[in-house]
Amino acid sequence: MTTTAVAFDQVSKAYGEVRAVDGLTLSLHPGQTVALLGPNGAGKSTTLDLLLGLKQPDSGSVRLFGTSPREAIVAGRVGAMLQSGGLMDEVTVAEIVGLACDLHPKPYKANDVLARAGITQIADRKVNKLSGGQAQRVRFALATAGDSDLIVLDEPTTGMDVTTRQAFWATMREQADQGRTVLFATHYLEEADAVADRVLVLHRGRLLADGTAAEIKAKAGARRISFDLEGPIDPDALRELPFLAHLSVSGSTVRIQSSDADATVHALYGLGLYPRNLEVAGLGLEQAFVAITEAEEARTS
Amino acid sequence: MNSLIKLELNRALRNRKFLFFSVLYPSLLFLLIAGSADGTDKVDGTGLTLPTYMMVSMASFGALTAVLMGNSERIAKERESGWVRQLRLTTLPGRGYVLAKTASAAVVSLPSIVVVFVVAAAVKDVRLDAWQWLALTGAIWAGSLVFAALGVAIGYLASGDAVRPITMITYFGLSILGGLWMPTTTFPTWLQDIAKWVPTHAYAALGQAIEQSQAPHAKDIAVLAVFFALFTGGAAWLYRKDTLKA
Repeated sequence: MTTTAVAFDQVSKAYGEVRAVDGLTLSLHPGQTVALLGPNGAGKSTTLDLLLGLKQPDSGSVRLFGTSPREAIVAGRVGAMLQSGGLMDEVTVAEIVGLACDLHPKPYKANDVLARAGITQIADRKVNKLSGGQAQRVRFALATAGDSDLIVLDEPTTGMDVTTRQAFWATMREQADQGRTVLFATHYLEEADAVADRVLVLHRGRLLADGTAAEIKAKAGARRISFDLEGPIDPDALRELPFLAHLSVSGSTVRIQSSDADATVHALYGLGLYPRNLEVAGLGLEQAFVAITEAEEARTS
Repeated sequence: MNSLIKLELNRALRNRKFLFFSVLYPSLLFLLIAGSADGTDKVDGTGLTLPTYMMVSMASFGALTAVLMGNSERIAKERESGWVRQLRLTTLPGRGYVLAKTASAAVVSLPSIVVVFVVAAAVKDVRLDAWQWLALTGAIWAGSLVFAALGVAIGYLASGDAVRPITMITYFGLSILGGLWMPTTTFPTWLQDIAKWVPTHAYAALGQAIEQSQAPHAKDIAVLAVFFALFTGGAAWLYRKDTLKA
């Protein structure tokens, strides 16, 4: 029997009235590279904090490799990089990485860790004198200081330029290829698409979608169509348009969300209407999430 | 945990400002206060000369500086930056961070005590028996743990801009009220009555008793023990609160 790397069972966490994580159930299996995708405020960071035992759930249980998060960390099975995880200042990069290696039960050689994170050439620099991207690489080095089975990264590429970002993901793929479970939070769909073989979409603390990047992209591929119409508008006729997800009419302006814009626009002309100032635009990820949520809610109600 | 202590220590030893204030500053202050004093002037009610009296005060003051400053501002800052959270993702036990901080502060406080003794002996001819020097070093060093615990408590209580003023008020308050800068016998009576119960007063009294070739007074030890329990309890409570919140 293979152990589950991460198991959330009906986990909830609220801050006052706000439910940051709401009845989350999920399990990750060894060897998977999983993206936790969601807009800001979706509950990604709280989910990772719960996963790492930094926060305790109000209800439900979190298990890593069948034990509590803390036990898994003490056993050296987890390496993690927090979004704004601070670094000890006034020490050098080599010193802080050396500390992380010393604290890990199954450590790698500090020099190898530095090399893999691409920070050998800044090893003698003080930690508080680094650029944002360099600091992220140091955090990555801390997360990979030893032979952990699960690597957790919260928005790891924040502050990195494009080149660094690519090099970073290449390094991370290596980690995954060695059979580790890698879980990372991001709000870039492209990033999830390029790296992850499973994508979890989180929205308002709930799991909205769980599938391959391609499946998520199809779901989030909705477009927004807007146009003006002259004369009286018949919303009921418009509601009959194919692939329509959402319709709003204000004055002479019509706004539509559609999962297949080409077909919807074609049908629009088919109704004998003459839309003016027609615009078709992709939805941002955040709006796509809202579209998916509304579709889900409409389906379940 | 040893590697964290080592790293904390390296960092403290590289920090010239911190070293100046905790290691050299107490000795300079000693020279400033006791420098012009006649070696035969006695401090009221103690039978000790001013240089002898001030030597213990300044050694205590130096140790206080090292452990209080070393803990409170650092902890508050690293709590805010997220370093404390990052450490919680390592095998380091929860209390390891606080213990490492305190241990490295204690290593810095030792030279600050010894340097005051050396300056006092060399410049102001303070002479004591060998056992007194050793007992003084031990008592002042061990007593500084009380204030290390206070530093931890402040570090977990305050954050951001608040921590420095709180530390400074506590630091100067304890130094002055405890009679570390001038003998409390120079205070008005009502203030002397208050000062008797200030932990730094009891702290310095440990050393003065040793200089008078006596065992430390039970009352001073009791005062220190009560404050130690209070500060450690407070620090532990604040630490747990912070851990649940973070």
